[in-house]
Order: sequence, then structure tokens, then C-alpha cells
Amino acid sequence: MSENLIEVKNLRIAFPTEAGGWHQAVRGVSFTLGREKLGIVGESGSGKSLSGRAILGVLPDYVRIEADKLAFDGIDLRAASPRQRRHLRGGRMGMVLQDPKFSLNPVMTAGAQIVEAIRIGDRRISRAAARKGALDILHSLHIRDPELVFDRYPHELSGGMGQRVMIGMMVVREPDVLIADEPTSALDVTVQMQVLSILDELVERRKMGLIFISHDLQLVSRFCDRVIVMYAGQIVETLDARRLGEAQHPYTKGLLACLPEIDGPLTPLPTLDRQAAWSQLP
Amino acid sequence: MTDTILGVEHLSVRFGASTVVDDVSFAVARGESFGLVGESGSGKSTILRTIMGLSPDWSGTIAVNGVPARGTPRREFSTQVQMVFQDPYASLHPRHLIGNAIAEPMRIHRMDNVEARTLELLALIGLGEDFAYRYPHELSGGQRQRVAIARALALSPKLLLLDEPTSALDVSIQAEILNLLNRLRAEMGLTFVIVSHNLAVISYCCDRLMLMQNARHVETLSRAQLRNRELDQDYTKAFVAASTL
Repeated sequence: MSENLIEVKNLRIAFPTEAGGWHQAVRGVSFTLGREKLGIVGESGSGKSLSGRAILGVLPDYVRIEADKLAFDGIDLRAASPRQRRHLRGGRMGMVLQDPKFSLNPVMTAGAQIVEAIRIGDRRISRAAARKGALDILHSLHIRDPELVFDRYPHELSGGMGQRVMIGMMVVREPDVLIADEPTSALDVTVQMQVLSILDELVERRKMGLIFISHDLQLVSRFCDRVIVMYAGQIVETLDARRLGEAQHPYTKGLLACLPEIDGPLTPLPTLDRQAAWSQLP
Repeated sequence: MTDTILGVEHLSVRFGASTVVDDVSFAVARGESFGLVGESGSGKSTILRTIMGLSPDWSGTIAVNGVPARGTPRREFSTQVQMVFQDPYASLHPRHLIGNAIAEPMRIHRMDNVEARTLELLALIGLGEDFAYRYPHELSGGQRQRVAIARALALSPKLLLLDEPTSALDVSIQAEILNLLNRLRAEMGLTFVIVSHNLAVISYCCDRLMLMQNARHVETLSRAQLRNRELDQDYTKAFVAASTL
């Protein structure tokens, strides 16, 4: 296995506009991911989610995706057939989405959804073995009574519990890479840390690569090893998560400064003075 | 408290068989900014919605400026208090021009000089006059939230209820909206009740706050008490710890 699980070089993603042109949403993003926790931070529209989805291959057909290199574990994703990519998704790459209320199937029990994920991966696994696998994964997500949660429908679960079920679905087949797109934004602060520490534990124990997409720079820096900051479809800065204070780019500094703090001053919050130069191509 | 603008006493709200607000009382002084904090489902938004007359089944008393919420005609009560909702993408009519959206409450109240006042309000919230002729989809989330604030201020209420006013926005836009709210409160002598799950926002914007859990009141703190960590209840301590880390 090569050192880098994911290699992205000069990724560009464009949407067709009504006028017949193309709107460039991601404009030349390059990064690599090893078996580490990588955070991607940016505001809405910065292209952070699009980049994650392009790697997974779940963007609609009308989107134009170009890259000099887009590889997963040595496999060229640009040349891969839809069948091959389907094979990678779920099996070797997983994705956790923002809100379990919208991304779990409302008419299937939580357990049935995890069982389905297991059996799609390997049809020869018996029903009973799949059930046991689902219960085990629920247990490893610190769910006290897995049997109970197994038979619940998504609407009967709290947000934190639903998010654990979704994480369970995604990690049960032990993927090499997990892409988590705002996995805790829909959760309460008290539950947020629980879900994060569960995610952390899983990633550490199974030595997965994790891409953690979020708008919350503070949260990401507490949780990840490296942080990529995106603005207007480009990477403006890559930081060591422990050295957030040494951020150089004015955009990163602005993002950090504009957050109110519980014990912070009551003077007007500094706002971002967006410079046109930030979004110019190098 | 001497000059109370909002008094809520023994408020209980039920949705069918379940009680979502259970015997909650609090008072907000004129000019104050009061925060309601808690996890989702703790009943904080329901309290605001009940003050606005959006909950059918409630008991207790609510009075704004001495005007009781029960029994007062909606049109009269709506000049006392207005609300700003969480999601600026959902709270503006997609097929109404921004100018019409802001003018609508004034038209309902048959006020004079509606057009001029609409432009005044647009200037007040920091958008230009030409925004009056745009549709919501042409605006960013932060701009839409500004419009929602202008609309809430159209009838010149003295009390503004804000339900998670910035949680759908990016942090940089959140800073702009919070600054705007603070400026408006100082300039116009407004009183705010702000619902948020974000303790940092509450600590920045509010003089006092009330923490709720499972439909019940847990603890009421002043900003100084919060910042000195003078916390009585275990739940408050856990909540503050989870918010600060």
C-alpha cells in the first residue's frame, strides 16, 4: 500500500450556467491524505463539500470534474468505471453526512440499514451473522443497549444516536477512508463531543484516513492533524492543527477573530474584509 | 425588577399529550438582552413561538408592556413584539420582492408613508435602496437575515424575539449580524430575547440568560455569573464545560 491513500492534484469542478458557460466552483485544489485526520475548513460556497464528493464520485453527471491527478490508493479515479467506483464506495471509502434526520432511510429500522450495508458488501454473509455484525458495531459506538436501537426507526432516535447509526453504517465495512461532511453541525454541543470522540476512537483504532469537512475552524483544529483552509474554490492555507495561532493568511486570521467567545470582550466583533486578491488564481 | 417589558409566569405549553414547556417563569427588563439556552427539544424556541401566538395549547400568563398575550387582538399585540426566525432561506416568501416583504406588515396596519419607511428600514440594516426590487433568491443568507430583521422592525416594536438568528450563517456573517443587532439595540432602545444553543453568542450578546433542559427552567445567570463560572446546577456546569472545552 502506498503512503498516500488519496492524491488530488489540481482538481477543478465546474457547473453549467444558464447562460451556457461554466461556473468554476473548485479551482485547482491539490492535497494528499495518508492515514491521518485532515480537516477542510471554509465558508459555504468555498468548495469544501464538492471536493469531498468528487473524491467519492457522487456528484451529478452534468458537473464537469477535471484534475491532473485524482487517485485513491493508486487507483486512478478519473479512469475508473462507474462499477469500479461503486465498488470503492461503501467498501473502501465511506461518507458521513450532516444530518441523520435527512440521510437515514425513514422507513427502515436503524439495524436493518446497517445490515443492508454489510450484505451489499458481501452477499454470502448470513442474515444472522450480519445482524451480529450490526449489533457489534453499535456496541463499539458506545450505544448502551444495541438491541433496542437496532429495532428503532430513525424518527425514534435522537440526533446523536442517529449520527452514531450513520457512522456505524459507514465504518462497518472497515473503509480505508472516511469522509465526514459536517458530521456534528446538526447536533447539540453536549452531544457533539461524544460523537467526535467516538469518531476519533474509530479512526485511531482502525488506522483510517479521515477527511473532516466543516465550517468550524476551532472544532477542526482540536480534532484533526492538519487543516486545509479553502476560500472561493482554492486552498489559501494548509496548517498544522496545533499551530492555528501561527496562521498567516488574512482570511484564516479573520475567521478565527470573528468568533465570539464566552469570556471574550463585548466590543464589536471584527468582520472579514474580503480582498479580491484572495480569490485570484495564483 | 422595576421596568418589565416581558413577563412570563407559570407558562406551560403542550403538544397533544406531551408537555414541551413546563411551568416556566421569567421577566425581561426594558432595554435588556435576555438569552434562552438549551439543547434541542428543551422548549426554548417554543417559548418564543408561544409569545407570538403560534402555540395553540398553553396556560399561564404572558404580558408584553403590560399587554396580555391572551385576549388582546393579534393586530394590536403585533405592534408590541416581533420575531426573527432561524432560517432566512425559509422565512421570506420566495415570490415577494424584498420591498414588499418589508412593507407588508405596515400595509396590514394601514400605516402612512409605507414606501419611504421601507427604504429607511433598508438603510437601517445596511442594505441599499435597490434591494427593494430584488427577490430573496438573489440575496445571500446574511442579507436575507438582515431583511428578516428589517421586516420585524417595520412596526417599531420595542421587543424583538430572535430564534437562533445566526445559526444558519457562516461565522464571518454571524459576526456582521451580531454587530448589527447590538447596534440596533443601542440606537433604538430595543429589548431582545435571543434563543441559541451557542453559549458564546449568548455570552457576547446577552446581559442575562436562562438555561433550560427537558422543558424546564434550570438556572438563570447574569453574564458576570457565567463568566466567573458561578454556576449552581450540575447541568449548567456540564453545558458550560461542553461549550468551552
